[in-house]
Amino acid sequence: MIEIKNLCKSFGNKQVLNNINIQFEHGKVYGIVGENGAGKTTLFRCIAGLEDFEGEIQATKTPLKNHLGLLFTDPFFFPKLTGKEYIQLLCNAREIDLGDIEARNVFDLPLNQYASTYSTGMKKKLAITAILLQENDYFILDEPFNGVDIQSNIIITEIIQKLKELEKVVLISSHIFSTLSATCDEIHLLKDGQIIRSVEKPEFDMLENEMKEIVMENRIDRLGLK
Amino acid sequence: MLNNLLIIPNTAIFSNQTNNLKSYFSIQIKIAARKFLDFGVHPVLGVLLILVGFIAFSEYLFHQISFAAYLFAFVSLTFTSALSAQKRNDFLQLCFPEKRYKSVRTIENTLASLPFVIFLVYKQNLLVAVILLFISLLFAWSNFRTNFNFTLPTPFYKKPFEFIVGFRKTILLLIGACFIEFIALSVNNFNLGIFALAIVFLIVLTFYTTPENEIFVWNFIVSPTKFLLSKIKIALFFSSLLSLPFVATLVSFYPEKYLIILATWLIGFMLIITVILAKYAAYPSEMNLPEGIVIALGLSFPPLLLIFAPYFYFKAIQKLKPYLP
Repeated sequence: MIEIKNLCKSFGNKQVLNNINIQFEHGKVYGIVGENGAGKTTLFRCIAGLEDFEGEIQATKTPLKNHLGLLFTDPFFFPKLTGKEYIQLLCNAREIDLGDIEARNVFDLPLNQYASTYSTGMKKKLAITAILLQENDYFILDEPFNGVDIQSNIIITEIIQKLKELEKVVLISSHIFSTLSATCDEIHLLKDGQIIRSVEKPEFDMLENEMKEIVMENRIDRLGLK
Repeated sequence: MLNNLLIIPNTAIFSNQTNNLKSYFSIQIKIAARKFLDFGVHPVLGVLLILVGFIAFSEYLFHQISFAAYLFAFVSLTFTSALSAQKRNDFLQLCFPEKRYKSVRTIENTLASLPFVIFLVYKQNLLVAVILLFISLLFAWSNFRTNFNFTLPTPFYKKPFEFIVGFRKTILLLIGACFIEFIALSVNNFNLGIFALAIVFLIVLTFYTTPENEIFVWNFIVSPTKFLLSKIKIALFFSSLLSLPFVATLVSFYPEKYLIILATWLIGFMLIITVILAKYAAYPSEMNLPEGIVIALGLSFPPLLLIFAPYFYFKAIQKLKPYLP
């Protein structure tokens, strides 16, 4: 479990997260949605311990960061490092002995090629593979479906279901609502640094419609398309 | 004036064919000025320092090594070849029409090689100067596009990303160092051999000058002390591996000078340790002027490294604590 109490985070005068109180249970998948700049990535960085913050973040397994698999929207890759070496690097950091990496290459990635030459989707799949092989208990997946082909989308969705079965805690952020409704047990709507709405599966459609209304207003009319 | 330097005009001007090359080069000057400022040095002072450093290093090189002209040309071509990188040239080709693109590249490479050419002329190495200028211009008209898919194997599989990445990036320089060592032994020039060994260490130092993305530190599950010790252990082991052939050949050719060879080796290791610690002392920022000055002092008087290394160590521990609590 991850428990967040009174989490606040500011960058200078700008309050990015404002009194977040939330609990993430084992065996559940949580979606975090919100506009660009709503504070999703900052929330994830605070949970990972990559930002200073006010408030408390506690987890059953401590230190949390040693059991956390963190997928950024735009993962970083060293030039001239192969896919295999990238996985090896991240697993060595966690003292995990991998054995045969090729056998666990579920996305059929060209692991002997330089990772920096991969396409956007391949890079994302490589980063996902690496954090899965780290044998983490907590997962934060920031936009895991971005740039990924339809086949891999299906595989990622199945992986998330498997993680849920294995009693892991999974947090996902995505701009594609359908992917969240297919994978999540709960979705939290973040706006201006606050969680303004939390819903469970039966209410996902309602939340999507509400978000549409909030987002759209009369924007299309303002274009004056003829 | 400095404020003017820092305002970059809209890059869309490049697409406007009526604009002249002046805009492009004025932007390059502004970018360079910003790099100096980021480093904590006023641009004018920075240029002066580089100029003085260049002249001092060149004089030293020509004074110490009989084959300095070739080495000089090699260093110059390393700089100019970097300007032919594929992504950079793709961008320039998108910005400029074909003729103007060629002009930009010709001017760039001429400017990059000019200090070296002038120094070679001053040292009366006219032929090398002319060949250098010619090759630099050839580089201007070529684009280092690689379509083949080849992964360079390294002996560093599994552990240190610094050596895997660094080795692949600097393989040509390492081959260059081997070549210099070969020349040193064939012309019986001990100093040149020591210089080749020093180049290997300087190459290894470049593996550790840029801070890695924070995720690659955050991922570790060890304490800052263990993290630093493991980085140092790996660096020492693999730099020994890289430098051992140089040391072994030098000792076998000049057994009477084994103390100088071992001292160079030891200083190289001390420098590597200091640079690793300085890198994490500045982490997650890049090493800046204070670290640069301290390392330069250490280079000029190596015993100082014994004082600087512990200083950087304690600073590095503090900087790593947020990532490795």
